[in-house]
Amino acid sequence: MKDDLQRIWGLAIKEFLQLGRDKLLLAFLILGPLLELLLMGGMAGGGVHNLPLAVVDQERSRASREFVAKLDRTDELRITAYAESVTEARNWMQSGEVAAIAVIPPGYSTALTDPQRSASVQVIADGSNNVISTVALAAAEDVASQISRDISGPSSTGKQGPVTLRFMARFNAALEDQPHAITAMLGMIVFQVALVVAAQSFARERELGTLEQLRVTPLKRLDLMLGKAIPTLVIGLVDFLMMMVLIIVWFDIPLRGSLLLLCLLTIPFVIAQIGWGTLISLVSRTQQQAMLLVFALAMLEVAFSGFLVPAGDMPGVMRVISYVSSVQHYLVVLRGVMLRGAGLRLLWMPGLSLAGIAFFTMALAWVRLRAGLDTDAFQIDVAGAWRRVQRWWCDERPPLCPKRGRRRKAEHRRGWSRETA
Amino acid sequence: MVFLSPALVLIALSLVFTSGSTRIELAIWDQDLTALSRRFVATLGNDGDFSIKHVAGRDEIERSLKGRHVDAAVVIPSGFADTAQSGETASVQVVLDGVDTLVAGEAIGSLLGHAGDFGIQLSKEYRVPPPPVQVKSNSAYLPKTADQDSMVSGLIPIVFSLPVIAAALALARERERGTLEALVATPVRGLEYLGGKLVAYVTASLAGLLPVWLTASLLFGVPFRGNPILFVVLTASFLLASVGLAIVIGNLVQSQQAATVISLFIFFVPAFFLSGLTDPIDTTEVASTVISYLMPSTHFVAISRALLLKGASLIQLWRPSLMLLGLSVGWMAVAILTFKKRVTG
Repeated sequence: MKDDLQRIWGLAIKEFLQLGRDKLLLAFLILGPLLELLLMGGMAGGGVHNLPLAVVDQERSRASREFVAKLDRTDELRITAYAESVTEARNWMQSGEVAAIAVIPPGYSTALTDPQRSASVQVIADGSNNVISTVALAAAEDVASQISRDISGPSSTGKQGPVTLRFMARFNAALEDQPHAITAMLGMIVFQVALVVAAQSFARERELGTLEQLRVTPLKRLDLMLGKAIPTLVIGLVDFLMMMVLIIVWFDIPLRGSLLLLCLLTIPFVIAQIGWGTLISLVSRTQQQAMLLVFALAMLEVAFSGFLVPAGDMPGVMRVISYVSSVQHYLVVLRGVMLRGAGLRLLWMPGLSLAGIAFFTMALAWVRLRAGLDTDAFQIDVAGAWRRVQRWWCDERPPLCPKRGRRRKAEHRRGWSRETA
Repeated sequence: MVFLSPALVLIALSLVFTSGSTRIELAIWDQDLTALSRRFVATLGNDGDFSIKHVAGRDEIERSLKGRHVDAAVVIPSGFADTAQSGETASVQVVLDGVDTLVAGEAIGSLLGHAGDFGIQLSKEYRVPPPPVQVKSNSAYLPKTADQDSMVSGLIPIVFSLPVIAAALALARERERGTLEALVATPVRGLEYLGGKLVAYVTASLAGLLPVWLTASLLFGVPFRGNPILFVVLTASFLLASVGLAIVIGNLVQSQQAATVISLFIFFVPAFFLSGLTDPIDTTEVASTVISYLMPSTHFVAISRALLLKGASLIQLWRPSLMLLGLSVGWMAVAILTFKKRVTG
């Protein structure tokens, strides 16, 4: 046992030394995450502001001008052009000059003052970007309800219609994008660093020919796997902690839950990536191949993480796959602890899933490593196991063996050809 | 792998986005429990925007929001029916989970729409005045499958970063293995070598456009409203700029591991966050604008969406096209400079 630990430690030291020799790589592994988060966090914090809006005012009254002015005063929309017709405005939208169009029809002000009628304003949003269209439409809705309130005044509540909604946002009262985007970036950066470092480990040794040297050392397979995993785990956790400090101090995002819990749940997340990475690096012949696999896996994880599109009701197979996506579970944990202040009692499900995925990927990597270090070792192993199963099946239940006759014939033929040759 | 990987990744990514609509999980605390309040809840539930779960009490709402079991909670106060029928305004409280702003925004929009329809229906039935102004909204170009088309066309630039990163690694590999020195000794000149690499990777990636195109149009039904030749030309320009940037990375690093890490930092995360794929680029901040304009994918996301979904012409797209052209010339120049330095220095 003590020898084992010593061997693992020795290999870990060797990995650290190797990383330390490549100064540019080391700088990128340690400072890259901070720099990237600083840069992108600042940008993503902006949210959607000042979307260019075209106005088609077919009424040209005081009331319509007031509506337009209110739209311009919102944070989200900024009037950049007045169009004569809807066709003209649509042309601008096609070239991307405006993101939304507000059309105020003739008769707007008469309908507005008539208590029995409802004035309507049309808003057309650029649907080729779904974020833009959602934001623009919500802003316009907001202006409309504001005007309704102004006209009816506090005394005659009836003018607001029979039902109104009062909104209140928990955990993020101003509905800022930044906390959501920055937590997603943190998860993705930790993910990519751990995955890349782990995925190149064996592929690099193989390509440089040093894998043969490792083989003749007294290292056992488990030693090899753990020794390679330790540096990645350390880098992943160091990056995580540094980025946490940056997020709390620089971006001023509250940490409402326990940091310890977050750290504890980050460990299985990083281990899951080490498992994937080790698996990738064992099956790839070259580093280029490993990189392509890393990239493909990373894209899938991003897709399932629910950042681009909230991953909601997915049918059958997709849902099952999405449960294996560790980024998705990790983001639930991260946001739950940081922003919602949830404890383990509410987060046991994603926490357990993370641990399960970590165990699963490490087990896969271990099975693959046990088969041997050659890229085709596993195929040979599987083929051998399949032949053994086949033989056992045929020996135990001869009448049920479908290929029995053919096998006999083939064996006979082989035997015959060997004899004659 | 360089040829087919973009299409395969596009299939996988797009399958995620096309698989079913997202429903907003809604908790409802109905304190009124009248026929009208039940009708209001039914209006919310009837077109599949929301999946509804009944709760009772503030604590349960708080717990459901904290554990992310619901996205929003609606509290219908007691006396809701009486107020609404008397011609006064009944006020319903909505508590949102503000963390995912996109979902919160969708919930707000959808709830406002449903409540507005419900209010107009009621005002007709009970002869009470309707709200003075309402907004009739629609999204241009994309009637129903907006999210899918917009995502698939926006993802095309991102899937092409796979072959581009392969180019960065190809250069780093020669360095790592020491075969670059051997090449320098041959009569192949620096620019010829660089040109060879560039042509090989750009052509291979461009060939990959065909499977991507087929995937997008046949499998996901993304419309193609623009000029196909223009699209191919602009894709080639995008690939030139991206491979140029990749070669710069390949020239600067010592090992393939470093090349992979740096490429991921430059091509992967920013491609999602900075390219305007989800959030439009905020032009108020100078640093962010400059950096996102230096990334080829920023311009190509805009071009891809405008060409595929809106059928824009070159005249309408002159700005991103010119930027892309400038970037391909610029990054190529930097690639040549760094390469010369690397071979001689």
